[in-house]
Amino acid sequence: MHYLIDRFAPAERRLIWIAALVLIPVFFFPVLPIWAMKLWAPQYREGLTLTICTNTIKGDLQSINTLNHYVGMKHITADDFREFRFMPQALTLFGFLALLGALVNRRWLAILGWLAFTGFAGFMFLDYARWLYDYGHNLDPRAPIKLALFTPPLIGWKQMANFKVLSVPMPGTLLLGVAWLLGPLAIVLEMRDAKRAAR
Amino acid sequence: MNHSSERRGSRIAAPGIAALALAAALTGCAAPRGATGSAAEKVYVKPGTYDAYYAFLSGGHSGQVYVYGIPSCRHITTIPVFTPEPAVGYGVDEETKAQLGGRTWGDAHHPGLSETDGDYDGRWLFINDMPGARIARIDLRDFKTREIFGPIPNVSAAHACPFPTPNTEYVFAASRFSTPVPNRPEKIADYAKQFRGVVAGVKVDPKSGHMSLGFEILMPPFDWDLADAGKGPSHGWEFFTCYNSEQAYDSLEVKASQNEMDFIAAVDWRAAQAAVDAGKAKTVGGAPMLDPRDVPGLVYLFPVPKSPHGVDVDPSGEYVCASGKLQAEVSVFSVKKILAAIAAKRFDGERMGIPVLKYEDVIEAKVPVGLGPLHTQFDGKGNAYTSLFLDSQIAKWKIGPPWNVEDKIDVYYSIGHLMASEGDTRHPTGEYVVALDKLSKDRYINVGPTKPEGAQLIDIRGTKMELLYDFPTYLEPHYVQMIRAEKLKPIDVYPLAENNRPGAVKRAEDARVERKGARVDVYMVAVRSHFTPDVIRVVEGDDVYFHVTNVEQDSDIAHGFGVLWSSNNMQIEPGETKTMHWKADRAGVVPFYCSNFCSALHQEMQGYLEVHPRGTPVAAMQRPDPRKVAEVAALMAHPGDVR
Repeated sequence: MHYLIDRFAPAERRLIWIAALVLIPVFFFPVLPIWAMKLWAPQYREGLTLTICTNTIKGDLQSINTLNHYVGMKHITADDFREFRFMPQALTLFGFLALLGALVNRRWLAILGWLAFTGFAGFMFLDYARWLYDYGHNLDPRAPIKLALFTPPLIGWKQMANFKVLSVPMPGTLLLGVAWLLGPLAIVLEMRDAKRAAR
Repeated sequence: MNHSSERRGSRIAAPGIAALALAAALTGCAAPRGATGSAAEKVYVKPGTYDAYYAFLSGGHSGQVYVYGIPSCRHITTIPVFTPEPAVGYGVDEETKAQLGGRTWGDAHHPGLSETDGDYDGRWLFINDMPGARIARIDLRDFKTREIFGPIPNVSAAHACPFPTPNTEYVFAASRFSTPVPNRPEKIADYAKQFRGVVAGVKVDPKSGHMSLGFEILMPPFDWDLADAGKGPSHGWEFFTCYNSEQAYDSLEVKASQNEMDFIAAVDWRAAQAAVDAGKAKTVGGAPMLDPRDVPGLVYLFPVPKSPHGVDVDPSGEYVCASGKLQAEVSVFSVKKILAAIAAKRFDGERMGIPVLKYEDVIEAKVPVGLGPLHTQFDGKGNAYTSLFLDSQIAKWKIGPPWNVEDKIDVYYSIGHLMASEGDTRHPTGEYVVALDKLSKDRYINVGPTKPEGAQLIDIRGTKMELLYDFPTYLEPHYVQMIRAEKLKPIDVYPLAENNRPGAVKRAEDARVERKGARVDVYMVAVRSHFTPDVIRVVEGDDVYFHVTNVEQDSDIAHGFGVLWSSNNMQIEPGETKTMHWKADRAGVVPFYCSNFCSALHQEMQGYLEVHPRGTPVAAMQRPDPRKVAEVAALMAHPGDVR
């Protein structure tokens, strides 16, 4: 119990500052892409790109939609994703939570923020997977080309009709991952210091 | 210890390898591509790789421009210029129809790339229609003919055309066949008295490339033949050759070949523009016409032996090389001497008020190249290359003393123009010469009496010229411009967001058919693989205007739009809108379809026109089936997201 209401050591507190620093700008400068999909076909050797940011989806959307209508896939448009309307705000909010945790300097507050952040990230992954499933399973039955139902890859390679598809996390996600890891890192470092002090 | 020294070794090796790679890359740049190896290796451009040069060949009396890749000599595309081309709808859609003005023929002789500081800038290609006295401007951003200027008033047979100045300030046109000016019925026997030649200076807008008439100059009724712009010390002058200073009007073959000397006219185009601006021009046939008698210093003549054809200014701008067709020499004139003679006013009489310089005062050298010299090109390394029509050869000669011929090569057969890579600029690249042969005879598998034209690629990188390749062309290239490929940056698609044409519809929701009296406007969207709308109701006698927008933004996804039983077909590129008129002249059903293979369901890309009998009431506004619109709208949502 003491542990939870205790303060961080200066070094660990700095890690929480850093996490806040990473997260707070997301809403104000949502520039880093978080996920990307690249699609290659024999006549698209240069590849078509879909780039997902926290607030929008961009890239060769029109070309991909034009091609997708042959298999009856729902058109992809940024307006369809409610997620883009709260994701940057939520991430920035977690940043402020981290900031608060570092300012107040109470472990419980920081851990609570971290847990909420973890829950949110998990939810977003599941949500993304659901979208992918949805796109590949709600095909217009009147489509000129009838495909077996499919799910585009969440991560990694997949052959879909004449397209080879690669799905990968982008720098935004990597940076968020680093911010997320700072939480456990702070605790591990503290435990190590505590052990050393005990010896 | 051992371990660490190994590591040190690898640390040294890594930069070493990098340096080697860099050196290889550098030598790759320094040595011209394919400078060694067999002729076959030098022209081989591997599948999927690109040529080093664009070559723009005039299409002569086909009225078009052919684009070839050099050194592979592959025909890349044809640009329709003065002749309708129904495949792409050139001269069929309303804009290009208006541009051609009802003409269906042109004789395109001399392509001229736009220049900045005397070097190609890759912005535009100008080309003349000799008999129509027109100049076309092709925009090299999309390889489309964007302007046809003319007919230029008073100019008859614009052969010395366009030959741009070093900053594309002007392109020119001069009369090859003199006529009465302004044109009126006259007895041909009054030729010397009533007929006149004309030199026209056409101003080019430095931003838009738009052409407008700057000035015209009344010239003696000689046959003004070819031109070239001065540069460096000769900047500000345009040189024109002529034959028929005899002023013969019949049997020219004999009568125009009597004089020992004809002329080059040196036109001071800056003085011409200044004179027009000062109000010294009279309006003749709608053009500001200058008479050299009223404007001293505007034009000078200097004698050139034996009916000269080509005139070519060397890269330094100091030498003017002219080829008398009926002699075996190239006459080289010194710009320094010309300017000195003009300054000293050392004249030998005048022709129609134009002072004539003394031949001995301006001639620098006579180079014994061979029989029938026509045109000269340059390699930027101090050498010149002259085509020899009668000898069917190219002679390579040294610019400067002792002015000797260094090498000759046979061509097949009867060469006219030749073009060295960037060979008429201040900095020729000295890699290739393209020879344009007037006869190909037996060089290709026989296709009957109409033989293809012969073009040949010659390597000029070594001390000896080497014939690399023969390639046939369609009728009939007169001249070429060859520009390094990286100087052009053509677009891939027309940005849809920048398409502001009045007839453009970018979303299926906006597609519609509007009727005003007997005029029907169809605002249509084309996208893989359907048109919206694809069922259209009209009435017999309607004038139907199809405004078709290709909303694709993918490279090479062009759509065609062809109407059955008509000459109505056009190709619409990604992001482009074109308008085409079709007359519903008979009741019935008329299908239309995509005529350019676009996609897996291209065959399905079609539609129908219901043509009702005269008098049938039809709604003033038709919108396509809303279900279909919803489908297409969903597909086309957010064009703003595009790229």
